[in-house]
Amino acid sequence: MAYAPPARHLLRAKDLADSRYAEPLGVEDMAREAGLSRAHFIREFSRAFGDSPHAYLLTRRLERAAALLRSTDRQVADICYSVGLSSLGSFTTSFKRTYGVSPTAYRERHPPAADRALVPGCVVRAYGRPQRRTFREDSREDRA
Amino acid sequence: MFKVGTAQLWVHDQDEALAFWTEKVGMEVRADVTLPELGGFRWLTVGVPGQDDFSIVLMKIPGPPLMDADTAAQVSELMAKGFAGTVFLETDDCRASYEELRARGVEFNEAPEDRPYGVDSGFRDPSGNSIRLTQVRPLAELEAELSAS
Repeated sequence: MAYAPPARHLLRAKDLADSRYAEPLGVEDMAREAGLSRAHFIREFSRAFGDSPHAYLLTRRLERAAALLRSTDRQVADICYSVGLSSLGSFTTSFKRTYGVSPTAYRERHPPAADRALVPGCVVRAYGRPQRRTFREDSREDRA
Repeated sequence: MFKVGTAQLWVHDQDEALAFWTEKVGMEVRADVTLPELGGFRWLTVGVPGQDDFSIVLMKIPGPPLMDADTAAQVSELMAKGFAGTVFLETDDCRASYEELRARGVEFNEAPEDRPYGVDSGFRDPSGNSIRLTQVRPLAELEAELSAS
């Protein structure tokens, strides 16, 4: 392999976190991608990028979780698993520490995702039609 | 002035499409909301991480009252035959992307081939929609060839 500065290998590990955070990826996987021992990798990554690999990966996951909380109506647990985390409790704690509020409270602070769905006009018109109608104002059905 | 925001693809099953586009192709979910008051209409979009201002909406073929059964069947058949719609993806390295996507389980109906405009390949989503994966040659390269000839 041609020589590359050590940072190139660290960048590879960082790119791995950026692209595959949704998978059950950990610091060990990142260290392996950089071709370094875990302890060495953690030291070098922190020095190069200012964040520990664990913090970097977790932040990436939490950012995606926040985006999913704002833009989908999925359950918090689903969101936790879909960003590559396996413990709902740890996710909630980390989220609150980073964003100041629980995932649920964070979601409630933002406009409902449903309000941002771009619903085609034909859908609105099709389901906006009343199912039953009568033009007779004093019909038995209207009085019921 | 306006810009293009979202392209649309019909899909037979949104969960299946979602798994395909995120797990196999590597896109991310942008929006996913279900509106029970509109017959369970689900607005589901995916996009490329880093390309924030564009997404693809994966739209389930509707049934009545929105679309009658005959029309729905026609749409479904067009898709299955591969004629419903195409999305063109661009990559810096078609052959590398091809290997990467294939390793993740994407079925290619066209392996990378050299073309005048670059390297082109094609795969399908679970519904049969045609997706192109193209490495476009820079215009400067084509112009250089022209002046060299």
